[in-house]
Amino acid sequence: MTTTLTSGLRELRGQSGELAAELRSIALDVDADPHNRERLRSSETLELLRVVGTPKPYRAYDVPRWAEQFTETCLGRVVGNIELARGDAGVLNAVAAPSLAGFTVDALGNEAQQEFFYRELAQNRPWTFFGMTEPAHGSDATAMQTRLEPDADGSFRLHGTKRYVANAERGAIGVVFARTGPSALTIRAAVLQRPAPGFTGTTLDMLGLRGACLGEMGFDGVPIAPEMVLGRHLPASKRGLWGANRAFNVVRLQIAAQALGVAYAIHDLVREERPQWTGHEVVSARLHAARELLYDVALEVDHSPDDRRPPSIAKLHTTNLAVETGRWAESVLPPGALLQHPLLEKWCRDVCAFEFMDGTGNILRLMIAPAAAPRREGP
Amino acid sequence: MCHSRPNPYLQKHPSEAEETMREIIAECESAGHSHGLAAGLALALAGVDTDAAPGPFAALPATAVPAGTPVLAHPMAAKEGISFVRTRRRHVPAELHTGIAVRLGAARLGTTQRLYERAVEHLSARTSGGEPTVRKQLVQGVLADTHVGLEVARRGLRIAGHAALTDLHDRLTALDWELAKLLGASGYAGEHAVAGAFVSRLAANCWVPRDGAA
Repeated sequence: MTTTLTSGLRELRGQSGELAAELRSIALDVDADPHNRERLRSSETLELLRVVGTPKPYRAYDVPRWAEQFTETCLGRVVGNIELARGDAGVLNAVAAPSLAGFTVDALGNEAQQEFFYRELAQNRPWTFFGMTEPAHGSDATAMQTRLEPDADGSFRLHGTKRYVANAERGAIGVVFARTGPSALTIRAAVLQRPAPGFTGTTLDMLGLRGACLGEMGFDGVPIAPEMVLGRHLPASKRGLWGANRAFNVVRLQIAAQALGVAYAIHDLVREERPQWTGHEVVSARLHAARELLYDVALEVDHSPDDRRPPSIAKLHTTNLAVETGRWAESVLPPGALLQHPLLEKWCRDVCAFEFMDGTGNILRLMIAPAAAPRREGP
Repeated sequence: MCHSRPNPYLQKHPSEAEETMREIIAECESAGHSHGLAAGLALALAGVDTDAAPGPFAALPATAVPAGTPVLAHPMAAKEGISFVRTRRRHVPAELHTGIAVRLGAARLGTTQRLYERAVEHLSARTSGGEPTVRKQLVQGVLADTHVGLEVARRGLRIAGHAALTDLHDRLTALDWELAKLLGASGYAGEHAVAGAFVSRLAANCWVPRDGAA
């Protein structure tokens, strides 16, 4: 028995599928030149997603009821992301939405900080950034070296480097994590705006998913006002990384959904190329089963937002499945198919990106594997 | 590990033709390993014309493309010294495709071996949780499995027939991905991204026939 979506979520799925067509129409152009801002700004779908991704009180205008469901629950995010990425995940990742920075401000920011962050987004429609990963500590966030040093006047100075940050060069507002002391509990997040003295950003060339525009950000004594440091109103244990765990769970699941969406796109292309062929059935079933898994996990996250295992299971599976689906397509289409179908070639590059976003496969395995046998019940 | 040394315990010595093929395989692997995919591909395609490719495109070393020939725009391949040109497909004996697949497989094996060495170097220079990343068990498992995969592929090139060669190329693609993952995001974005592994896959997609694909 498959998961039954409500009529509202079914409508979200259908409408997202229609929006996906516009993402698909500019997919190759964005891949070739992801820095063309005018192209991205003129996309009606990206504009709608930008507004939908902004909390309701800060939206510049109302969105259709079906679109609101996109951000109301994790299940809504999963349903929408699968269909949108089925259009093109590279373009989807070019959206100027609050994204991970927004989730972090939601989790760690007080009312004034949320007001400041979202007003800025509503007025100027900036791309956002989220600075966590560092060049030497990709998978080990607790070992980060970026420092938030107090100044004599009560403000702070930010020093360090972040790498593999989406919108590192074009982002105008975002969140950066840094440590104020030696222990992991001293890691804090601050809202940062560009331009700022000592704040630099460059773009890195990517093999795929180029709409994400990953890059490197440098901080050479960037001044940070004390009111821009998040989590001051929270208990010490909730001010930093651990406080943002819920945000990471949602994003991890979104990435899993996008990976599955690209896998579906690849699968669709094969079926169009071989319309009478029934050899797709095993792969079709695997994709449908993965969608069931994601729906179930989304419901779990909606009920238990702090449990990191279910989203990790989902992402580990669908990122691998997407890569495998690309290889399957290559194996069932004639020689030269990857170049004959530029979208297929691009998607085979794109799917590799998900491995490195919000937890590599090995990090997820460590999160999923039990640390010990479960305790026995009873005597 | 040496791959062309005669084994004194074998009753049957390789024939002259087999010995020659082993030497060619070793040369292609060495070229791929020491000088990259374009050098390996140049050796693999020696004496082969573009129209022998089984599909609509041929992957060539950029230096081998005749002046004035239209080339498919592919910046990533261009950086690796590889160009894609359209073919006028003609029928060629299956043995010709088999020979190309073997030699290209050897060249790709060389680039995969190079990627393996780069991954070990990268992981040895990094620490995680206060320990060299290369010593993490999950990482060691991947390195062991890919090492085994390389050794098996090297032997497979000696004996693989037509269909098995397609499988061998697919396994090289899978090995490249397992190794690329070990480089983390640095293997996907920035100046050290492993574009060569993907271009290697595209080259195989151009030159290796696929029975049953329609």
